[in-house]
Order: sequence, then C-alpha cells, then structure tokens
Amino acid sequence: MKLLLIEDEPLLLDEMEGYLTEQGYRCEKASNFQEGQEKLHLYQYDIIVLDITLPGGSGLSLLETIKTENKNPGVLIVSAKNSLHDKISGLELGADDYITKPFHMEELNARIFALLRRRSFDGENEIKVDKLVINMAFKTVCFNDEPVGLTKKEYELLLYFVINKNRVVSRQSIAEHLWGDHYDLADNYDTVYVHINTLRKKLAAYTVNDYIKTVHGMGYKWKYESF
Amino acid sequence: MKLLYKTTRDYLIASVSILIFTGVALFMILQKAVGDEMNEQLELQADEIFANARAGNFMDAPLIRIVKVSTQTTPGITFGDSLLYDHIQKEFEGYHYIRETQKIGPDHYQAIVMTSHIGWDQYYLTILYIFLLTAVLLTGSGVLINYYSNKKIWTPFFKNLKNVRNFSVSSPTELQLYESSINEFKELNDTLEDLTKRSRKEYLALREFTENASHEIQTPLSIIQSKLDRMSQLEISEQMAGYIVQAKSGVDRLAKMNKSLLLLAKLDNNIFVDKQEIQVHEILEFQVRNMEDLFHNKKIVLTEQIKTAIATSDKYLAETLIYNLLSNALRYTPVHGEVKINLKNQSLSIANTGVAPDFPSEQIFERFTKSQLHVTSTGLGLAIAKEICLMNQWELSYQFQEGWHTFLVKFA
Repeated sequence: MKLLLIEDEPLLLDEMEGYLTEQGYRCEKASNFQEGQEKLHLYQYDIIVLDITLPGGSGLSLLETIKTENKNPGVLIVSAKNSLHDKISGLELGADDYITKPFHMEELNARIFALLRRRSFDGENEIKVDKLVINMAFKTVCFNDEPVGLTKKEYELLLYFVINKNRVVSRQSIAEHLWGDHYDLADNYDTVYVHINTLRKKLAAYTVNDYIKTVHGMGYKWKYESF
Repeated sequence: MKLLYKTTRDYLIASVSILIFTGVALFMILQKAVGDEMNEQLELQADEIFANARAGNFMDAPLIRIVKVSTQTTPGITFGDSLLYDHIQKEFEGYHYIRETQKIGPDHYQAIVMTSHIGWDQYYLTILYIFLLTAVLLTGSGVLINYYSNKKIWTPFFKNLKNVRNFSVSSPTELQLYESSINEFKELNDTLEDLTKRSRKEYLALREFTENASHEIQTPLSIIQSKLDRMSQLEISEQMAGYIVQAKSGVDRLAKMNKSLLLLAKLDNNIFVDKQEIQVHEILEFQVRNMEDLFHNKKIVLTEQIKTAIATSDKYLAETLIYNLLSNALRYTPVHGEVKINLKNQSLSIANTGVAPDFPSEQIFERFTKSQLHVTSTGLGLAIAKEICLMNQWELSYQFQEGWHTFLVKFA
C-alpha cells in the first residue's frame, strides 16, 4: 500500500512517516503545495493524507486536482482548522475522512486502515491474530471458530489494538477512539481500564496468551509473538 | 440634577440678582440726581428771598418763610426733612427744606423754603413693580426658551444616548447616530462613532486573534503529543513513564481547552450559518448509547425518556450542545448517583444528583466558571452550551433544587 503524506510541519511529517512505515505502508512525503502537486501528477497512491493549510496553496485545491486527475485515491484530510467549513468543503470535494490536530498516530492509522478496507471491493474482511479471527463485515470475533461475545466497545477496542499492534497506546488515545473527542474524558480513564480488564478476561477464557500488556501506567500494548 | 434644570436655575438666580442690583442702583442714582436738583432749586429760591428781603420785601408765601432770628444764630445753610400735615389728603407728607441764615444789616434773618418730596414711597414701589415685572418676564421667557429650545437641541443627544447604551461591540451592526446641527453634538457624534468603530474593530481583531491563535496552537500541540507518544514506545524507566503521563495529561487539557476556545471564537464570529432540520432524539439516543458504559462504570442510575423532537440548527452545534450537557452530568454526578434524561414537547431536560454548586448558580454559564472539586475541567463546556442556545434562540436554564441539578433546553 502506497501513501502520500502532505504536511508542512516537518516534525509531524516525520512522525507520521515513521509510524505508518512501521505499520507496513510505503510512505512518500511532500511538505508544500508544489511538491504535493508534482508527486500527485507523477505517481499513483492508494491513500493521501492531506493537510489543508500548506505553504504555496490550499490543500483543498490540491484535492480538486486529485479528483480531476481521475486516479481516485482515498483522501484523508488532516487539519489544524477544526472548521466545519473546511470539513464540509473537503468532504464535498471528495475527501473520504477528516481528522483534526492534535491527533494520535494510532487514530490516524486506524482511519487509514478503515479507509483502505472501505475502498477495496474484494478486500479482506478478516484479520487473523494467532487463533483469533476478527470479522470486520459482521463485527464479530471468533477464537478457534468459537464466537467470543464482545460488546460493541470491546470489539472496537480489540480492533484498535490489533490495528496498532506492538505500539503502546495511551489511555487518551483509547478513550478518544471509543467515545469521540467531544468531551473531556480525563475523568473516564478508569472506564478504559474496566473495558480492558473485561476484554482480557473474555480472551483469557480461550487462550493462555495475555495479548494486552500494561506499560508503566502509560497505556497498553497489543503484543503477539508469532511462534 | 438634569442639565436643563440646572441651567434654568442658574439663569434664574443670575437674572434675579442682576435685576435687584440694577434696581437698587437705579433708585439710588435717581434719588441723588433728584435730591441735588431739589437742593439747587431750594438754594436759588432762598437766595431770591434774601435778595427781596434786602430790598425790604419780606415775602411770606406758603412753604416760604423768612423770620428774624437772634444774632447768636450763625449764618449758613442746612438742609432737612420734615413732615407736614396735608389737609386735602389727610395724611402727613414728607417735605424737604432749606434753612438759610443770612445777615441783613445788623440783624440775622432765617429763611425756610420747603418743597414736597413728590412721594418717594411711590417711586420705590413703582420702580419695584417695574423691576419685578421685568424680572418675571425675563426669567419666564428665558426659562421657556431654554426649556423648549434645549429640548429640541437635546433630542438627538438623548436618542443617541439610548443607542449607545444599547450598542455592543459584538452586535452585528455598527452604531447608528442621529444627526445634529449643533457643532458640539456633531463633535460628540464623530467622537462616539470613531470610538465605537475602533472598539468594534479591536473586538473583531481580538476575536479573529483568538481563532487564529487557537489554530496556530494546534500544530505545535500535535508535535508535542506525537513526540510524547513516540517516547512512550521506548524502553524507559517507570519514573520516566510517570513524567510522560503527566506531560500528556497537560497536553490533553491544553488541547481540549484550545478546542473549546476555538469553538467559542467561531460561535462569536457567527461562522455557523448552515442551519438545517435536525432530529434531536436521534442525536440524543446515539450519544446516550455511546456514553452508557461511562455512566455504568460510575454506578450511575440512568433513566431516559426520549420522544421525537425536531429543531433547526447546525448539526454539529446541536451535537456539541448535547455532548456538553451529558458530559457535564457524567462529571458532576457522584458515584451511585442518578441521571434523568427527558426529551419531550420540544424540550430537553437533563437532571443529575449532586452537591450544591460552590459558586453562585447564575455564573454557571460563564466562561471559566468551574467547581473547586474539578480543577482539570476547562470550565467552558456550559459556556459553549449557552452560546449554542443563544445562537439558535433556544432557552437554556439551570436550577438546583433538593439535590438535583437540572438543565433545561427549550427548542424554539
């Protein structure tokens, strides 16, 4: 999978590139309007992560170029302007999703993952981890063909972990993913803890492997060593 | 004291004192002039009497007398006043006389010539009446002119005053002022216009600044957040991990605060104009389901009654309003508390149990008002809720009664 990251802030661009490369994507970078335009013209990408405020021009006009060139990649808009106007015009111009700064890398990764899955018609609907099979079409989880009864939030949590495997995911990141970033969730980190514990217990009924590691109170990490 | 009363009063006092002063002066000057004239005339008469006497003609006419006096009497002139009985008017009248003693041959003769005062009392009164009349007319007309012309002159001023009073820098229109033909008022209007224009401009600049500043803060915040996340991935000591967690919670608060400020700035800037019909019950239902486990985890008993309600608003704002009210209820309900959500008849009430607020309840919708018990809260959630309601012309009220906090939104 080939990604083009268009973002003018070099530190953030490096961070995105670093994490998405770790996750197995081939990433290319553009840090201004012209560079983005050239790369879009020359190469084919599956997903474009596009910042709206760019030196040299608006990301929205790049979006128009993308759509007129008929290459039809998935577009995820990243913006510091949490403005509805940008969001609406972005989505009207054919962007597929919208994420506002500041965001967690895991969230970006999950959005890219979801976008890719939505866009591939014959795409994989299943993720396999060990003997755990997550069916994303039906939102069910099976272990050794035996269904694991998870609530909606537990399922979302599991998927978030699996997509962001081997990464310490903070409680903030999990809380925002599960409940949205509308409200102040600092009071609700124990709920994250409760969900993680339940998920652990439910999985423990099927396997001795403890996939979810607690990391120094910073967060949790999905760890699965393939044997 | 009203300006009109004050100027009228001062004018009145001034004109009365000037009239009194001029009246007294006029009277005294007249008295002096007439007195001098009388004395001259009396002297002349006395002179002629003595001239006649020297010629041997001692005349004795009414009010004129010449008598021989002892030689002890020193020659000279004295003037004096006396009263004589007037048979006709049957009253005493004041007379002025000259008493002159002259030597005629060896003998001394004294002549007395009298003349009437011509009723000085009458003069006093006449002058007093005339002056009183003048005073009344002058001040009366002055007051009337003052009153009516001032009223006319000041009308635009009072109208403008009212407009200025109702003017707010945040209002969408500029200050409207009535024209006046008076230079001072024109100047005042110009100054006011200039002042309000400038403060409006500064206010708008400030609003824009808030928005721009919030935007500009987002990117550095993203960098800090992503780098803290990156640090979390490394093999680090527990102590270090603790620091990272603390730093992250700070960034988190800042990010939330910034987002709220940005939203408030946008509400102030009236950016949300995309009103549409929204299904309030759908949004509410979705959010209550989404938050159910959060309430559940705090052992809060959640009862809800959601009936259909349609309102007109920007969808994002309606969502934010409901999110904010729900998250407020979640935060301030104690463990094992109770939350009641009720949507019917175009009004939404969200009530929760809890302790009384530790600030005056009318401040609850003000920015940065927050309970001492929740210092990490931004104190902006309810301010945003209020702004959203104001923008949509919905009524948002709060009351605390018998251990229940109740927020009520009436959708217009």
